[in-house]
Amino acid sequence: MAAGTALDPASAAPVRSDRIERFVGQALALLVSLGIAVALGSILIVGYGENPLNVYAEIFRGSLGSVNGIGYVLSIATPLIFSALAVAVCFKGGMFNIGVEGQYLVGMVTAAWAALSLDFLPAPLLVPAVLIAGMLGGMVWAAIPGVLKVKTGAHEVVTTIMLNGIAISLLAWAINFPLKFKNAPPGQNVDLRTDLFSDQARVGDIGQYFDITPGAHLSWLLFVAIAAAILVWFLLRRTRLGYEARAVGSAPGSARAGGVSIGATQIRLFLISGALAGMVGMPQILADKGYLGAAYITQLGFTGIAVAFLGQNNPIGIIFAAILWGILSRGEVALQIGTDVPREFIIILQGILILSVVITYQIAKRRLAARQLQRAGAAGALEDSAALDESAGPRGPEDKGLEAFRASDAGGSG
Amino acid sequence: MTLTDFAVAIQISLTYFTIIYLTGLGGLFSERSGIVNIGLEGLMIIGTVTGAFGARYFTDTLALGQPWGPILGLLFGAFCGMLFASIHAIATISFRVDHIVSGVVINLVAVGLARFLSQAFFGQATQSDPGGPHLPVLNIPLLSSLPRGLDRAFEDLSPFVIIAALMVIPVWYSLNRLRWGLRLRSCGENPEAARSLGIRVSVYRYQGVLLSGAFAGASGAFLASDVIGNWREGQTLGLGFISLAALILSNWNPIRLMFFAWLFGFAVAIPLRLDDAPVINLLPPQFIRMIPYVVTIVAIAGFVGKVRPPAAAGRAYEGGGSL
Repeated sequence: MAAGTALDPASAAPVRSDRIERFVGQALALLVSLGIAVALGSILIVGYGENPLNVYAEIFRGSLGSVNGIGYVLSIATPLIFSALAVAVCFKGGMFNIGVEGQYLVGMVTAAWAALSLDFLPAPLLVPAVLIAGMLGGMVWAAIPGVLKVKTGAHEVVTTIMLNGIAISLLAWAINFPLKFKNAPPGQNVDLRTDLFSDQARVGDIGQYFDITPGAHLSWLLFVAIAAAILVWFLLRRTRLGYEARAVGSAPGSARAGGVSIGATQIRLFLISGALAGMVGMPQILADKGYLGAAYITQLGFTGIAVAFLGQNNPIGIIFAAILWGILSRGEVALQIGTDVPREFIIILQGILILSVVITYQIAKRRLAARQLQRAGAAGALEDSAALDESAGPRGPEDKGLEAFRASDAGGSG
Repeated sequence: MTLTDFAVAIQISLTYFTIIYLTGLGGLFSERSGIVNIGLEGLMIIGTVTGAFGARYFTDTLALGQPWGPILGLLFGAFCGMLFASIHAIATISFRVDHIVSGVVINLVAVGLARFLSQAFFGQATQSDPGGPHLPVLNIPLLSSLPRGLDRAFEDLSPFVIIAALMVIPVWYSLNRLRWGLRLRSCGENPEAARSLGIRVSVYRYQGVLLSGAFAGASGAFLASDVIGNWREGQTLGLGFISLAALILSNWNPIRLMFFAWLFGFAVAIPLRLDDAPVINLLPPQFIRMIPYVVTIVAIAGFVGKVRPPAAAGRAYEGGGSL
């Protein structure tokens, strides 16, 4: 976040207070938006003739009130952590990867292919090979918008939307033709899918060690996701690439002047993002189903964007945001059983939450930027030029998801 | 493949043209006013569920019958699409949230909201009962008397197909000849200049986004009521994104948009009806479904032609808090 200021070591003293202020601002914005969501949700609940306190308590009881519930919550959170990290990595570089959706579908195809064709490998080798295949699939699919952006200036939002559409057809083709099952159980009507993966290809269930039902499909991929979050945090905060990413994201002009290759940084970020996106589909095919079928879970890529906002694009924040999302999603079941509120209420609550998060963060960011500008002694004139690359220091890279279609691309080809 | 198959493929393509063109026109108004709208898919989804409900409600419950029931149903879908688009408008114009961020949220929320509404409307979350009311189909005069089976292309079409095709006239006229349209476009090209001429940029942008909701909502309602016959979760099948692709390729021009909307409509129709035609039978149907997306990537990357979006589309307009 502090890329703009980090470029200027002379202003070290105000940096600290800026950072604290920003942290407090973000925390406040999060609390306010949670408050708005809970309040609006309560109005809806009252409309259904229920007591809001009861309903919210029921959601938490259903999700965190038992070890099984916790298992389900963590299992829901696992792919969302990967997905949100993939979004956040690109965001830090000022790019918007809304192609995680397509990247994880391609990752599932390549992983399924690896699981079926490398099944001669022993388990300790096969599982890593399958995971790497999934990540490679995601990377290839993410490399396309990255390279196109850098080489031709094609905006990544448009190309990733289109690649999402292609990925859906690609997956459908894969399970219709090359990967279609050959050994269907005789006499049964089987939905379109691949053959079952061998047992060595499946990731181990960890729920059994905590008395969590196998139905939760909680696997050690959860730990991989947490490790990935820590790795991404380290990458963005403590490595050269991370520094360059934040520089490119917040002030491409200064970054270029400072000798950062913007194009190379953007492509690297897309590759990392794609690798993370490739992991999103692994829990459902390796821990849950054990095959890739037509009825796969969709929308994980888009939900990841919501989780990334909720976690403020902070890798550690994302872990908690994904768990919160999991709590709400799991709470659905409890609502169904314990109250008169329909389970779809949860989706509305999640929608309200994400809308209010997006809007309050935006307001908070503007307030903060205005105050910091004021303190820096800059008058209103700077307000306008803050939109330019060079002086975008106090604003986060989030502002730059889409300047004009070309504004950010001019930097890309440099 | 026979000539009749080809004619039927054309007929299907005209139906899908209607969906893609209406949604594309929605995107056109929004982006010409300066607000990027990747939430078209979400707006369509709201149109499908509310349109299917509206058609049934006005036709059966209020016993308005034909043709007012289905017409009001479509308008209800358009109205609800507009209401839903107002979220995008408030977020991007009043709160200056990034347009892409808001569009993604619109798409995400629409899926959940559609279920919620479906539960309230139909008592089930993922579909309504099949066989909902729709306008009677008609044959296009003259064209439907073509010989050799070609007449099939212009038979049994919904009147909305013709209305959608005719929409090009008012849309083109309003954007190119009316003061309102020229002002709307100036907000998308250069809001600062527009403001200096006393144009209320935010007002025009609100109108652009609300119109996009109305068009996309009507398109969704048409899809649910007239094409499929009931609401089903996921029935938009990415047509909102295909509309966006057609819009980009058309260079944000309503006349060219007609061509690309029809072309992509035809791409949808090929796997349904022409799967045994020469060349096509060599390709798996899934590859044909990729065509609109591939063409768009090729075009946006500048390999063919030049894509030029409205200059200020996607940029928050900073000036004039009072406007």
